[in-house]
Amino acid sequence: MTVPFHAALSAWRRTTPASSVAGTLPTPELLDRFHPDRQPGAMVPLTLGRSMGQPCRAELAALLQSNALVEDVDIAGAPVLDADVLVIGGGGAGCVAALTAARAGARVLLATKLRLGDSNTVMAEGGIQAAVGAEDSLQRHFEDTLRAGHFVAVKSLVAALVSDGPAAIRWLIQEGMSFDLAPGSDRMGGQLLRRKPGGATAARLLSYRDFTGLEMMRALREATLLQPGITLLDRHPALELLTDDRGRCAGAVLHDLAQGRPVLARAGATVLATGGAGRLHAAGFPTSNHYGATADGLVLAYRAGASLRDMDSLQYHPTGIAWPPHMTGALVSEAARSSGAFLVNGLGERFVDELSTRDVVAAAILREVAEGRGVGRDGVEGVFLDTPSLEAREPGILAKRLVTLTHLAHRAGFDAAQEPFLVCPTLHYQNGGVAIDAAGRTEVRGLLCAGEVTGGLHGRNRMMGNALLELVVFGRRSGHAAAEDARGERPRNIGLNHLADWRRALIAQGLSLARKTPILFPPYGNFDATTDRSRAA
Amino acid sequence: MSRPLTKQEVQVGADLQAWMAVGGGTVLRRGLESPARIIPALEASGLRGLGGAGFPTHRKWSAVAQQPGRGKWVICNGNEDEPGTFKDRFLLSRTPHQVIEGALLAALAVGAANVALYVNPRETASVAMMKAAVKAWEGHDLLHRLSNVVGEQLRLTVSEGSGLYIGGEETAAIASVMGRFPFPSLKPPLPVEHGVDGAPTLVNNVETLAQAGLVLRIGPEAYRALGRDEASGTKLYSLSGDVLRPGLHELPMGITLRELVFEHGGGMLANQPFKAVFTGGPSNTLLTEADIDVKLDFDSLRARGSRLGTGAMIVVGEGTSILRKTAEYVAFFAANSCGQCPSCKVGTHQVSRILERIEAGTGRSGDLEALGHLTQLLPGSGRCGLVDGAATVLASSLRSFPEEYARALEQQPLRFSHPGG
Repeated sequence: MTVPFHAALSAWRRTTPASSVAGTLPTPELLDRFHPDRQPGAMVPLTLGRSMGQPCRAELAALLQSNALVEDVDIAGAPVLDADVLVIGGGGAGCVAALTAARAGARVLLATKLRLGDSNTVMAEGGIQAAVGAEDSLQRHFEDTLRAGHFVAVKSLVAALVSDGPAAIRWLIQEGMSFDLAPGSDRMGGQLLRRKPGGATAARLLSYRDFTGLEMMRALREATLLQPGITLLDRHPALELLTDDRGRCAGAVLHDLAQGRPVLARAGATVLATGGAGRLHAAGFPTSNHYGATADGLVLAYRAGASLRDMDSLQYHPTGIAWPPHMTGALVSEAARSSGAFLVNGLGERFVDELSTRDVVAAAILREVAEGRGVGRDGVEGVFLDTPSLEAREPGILAKRLVTLTHLAHRAGFDAAQEPFLVCPTLHYQNGGVAIDAAGRTEVRGLLCAGEVTGGLHGRNRMMGNALLELVVFGRRSGHAAAEDARGERPRNIGLNHLADWRRALIAQGLSLARKTPILFPPYGNFDATTDRSRAA
Repeated sequence: MSRPLTKQEVQVGADLQAWMAVGGGTVLRRGLESPARIIPALEASGLRGLGGAGFPTHRKWSAVAQQPGRGKWVICNGNEDEPGTFKDRFLLSRTPHQVIEGALLAALAVGAANVALYVNPRETASVAMMKAAVKAWEGHDLLHRLSNVVGEQLRLTVSEGSGLYIGGEETAAIASVMGRFPFPSLKPPLPVEHGVDGAPTLVNNVETLAQAGLVLRIGPEAYRALGRDEASGTKLYSLSGDVLRPGLHELPMGITLRELVFEHGGGMLANQPFKAVFTGGPSNTLLTEADIDVKLDFDSLRARGSRLGTGAMIVVGEGTSILRKTAEYVAFFAANSCGQCPSCKVGTHQVSRILERIEAGTGRSGDLEALGHLTQLLPGSGRCGLVDGAATVLASSLRSFPEEYARALEQQPLRFSHPGG
């Protein structure tokens, strides 16, 4: 039951500009009833490993509690590459960690599953948070982040994040990244343009147009390629971590895709920066994530004995494109909402404060759809993101500041200044992940993590703009710590020793040894899921 | 099944009263009543050295007992450090008085007043437990009676070793107890004649001494009956590797490999096919599928050309590489060669280097031949058995699993593929 597109469009035209918000539920009730993570059956307890008993998204739990791809015999005769620090993952966090470790004097191997820069970092549009404004403070950034995460974030991690924020921006500028400047400031010595991210109490979001992550990755990629001391191994996915005879992580088994054979990367310290798990399409949601986001790092770290946290908390971006269906997964940047664009249901009403945190906005959209006030078009359901009235209020903003958004509308075949977007919540981020300390170290000695693969920093909901900051801050911290931990380490008797106990635990739990992970390369099309959803509609 | 050494009741820790309450002290009292009957009892029991050699225990004891003079020593050898063996640390840390009583019994039988409990310092739990346990014996009536019989004031001490593998060798243990670097020395003179400070010295493994106590406790006939067929007593098998239930299993001496792996070990991990077992040090000839029904006692294994060693059984299934395991163990021996004998120092290092090269995919065509030559050259060239062990395990893996070496030299691609590969 939805409002058909053309009826909804006339309702929107009648009421625009939309009036104030009415009929919202109190946040706890809204989340309980409509957030996808709170639906029955979405979570199962983990039955083995260090985080046994913790609730975890069912799709992820299945991957985590699986057998390894490789066995000891597979690595006999495999070439060995030695390094001080092995960084796994070629996104933002991986690049920052590799750069930092190399500059601290470590010999670094940087292994990527796809190619350097193929990551979700490039997809980040909204911007990066850092308390650099005169009226802003680290304390406010700290409090905003904690509150947005429903007060379950690890305070020491949040403190590290916010206090390194300004320095991280300075570092990025030094690496060659550009930022938008405030109107009126000249190019030399100008003020950074700051906007207010959803859920924040101060204007703190720094951006470069609406492709901040792409600009960041451009700068990081160049810096990485030019940095002496980093050996880049493109298309070398990690199949399993290596451990030494003291149970310490000693590198990883990589799969040299070109040669089709395993390579052992032996290192004194290993940084996992493999990103998230959007490509698992939890609960059948579309995802904004790139092809490689298949939870590889979580699987590897968990088998090696690291603990996980908040694995029952995913983030759904409120404004993914719902129509046209071939563009599902593409996001309309939060910059639109933080610039003032409204969300409007099929009756032409606003139904939520658009600057609330992502979980609240997403749940509110799902409520509109569930209660029959959503907009339906060609079997997909969503609500309107009212870009025309934004353009009417601030003429020129679409062309100047929301470039990607305008381009998206163009690709979808309409003009964002004339017609609203049809949007729906889209799987965007995993809030939880591998538990780390403020230096990025996990509970497995020699293993560090940085970026989306980690948990604890965002609590149960991430603020916009904190992911880009996280990858810089914790990329730098883990890179430093890894270089330090690798000093004087010469791993001996490396192998897959941790797997025997893991397999025994699988058998004890009656779980299948036939399912092997990480999945590395997910099936490309997801036509079946789309068909199922339209059939249900 | 009877587990006299490791059953729950005897795991009383350092509490001496608790040990006495479960029948502790009986052995010493019985020994004190008639010291001359101790060694014949051992002889009747068929107890043999469980540190690996399998030498009849009563012969060693009577050799020391027959030596004249004062100041004799008993060393309880708990240096245990080799891959895959974890039996002594269990006895030392869970049931220390059982070991101490066995050592005191030995002192009584051979007339030694100095008892050194020689422990691997890296086993901190064992060291702490033994120190607490020794303290509990201070001033005990049984010690006074023992001193009276021996005719000297008995000294019971914990001696922390060097933490080096080689320190487990008999003569190295003696050097270590004397405060020297644990270099093995040439034999003869045998320790039973010329040990610590030149005095006759009895060196026995922890498990052997605990078993000696048991012999006196239950009598030699009952002890013999604990074993299978000709073999006597129980044995602590250290089971590890690709089995479902690894761990320490106290079972009748002479149980078959099949029973150990498939019954007590719960079978092969993930039902993978059985490939081989590294026994003992792991310095012996590999047991392969053909040996699955062999009885795990000294004589049956010797008849098969292998050895029981310490009773460590490292099981290898299809998913595990013999080459990698062999390389790991030879590297262990190379790292733990004391360096006295050039052939051992250089030979083990050379073998290890070649194995690591093959394992890391950079092996050369002549490497297998070179390894073959070394297995001929090295055995018997050292003062102690270290180099022999390394050569034996290498030769055996080359003989039984040549295809694994060949495969590594050819660098096979991964056996699975995925959309990206």
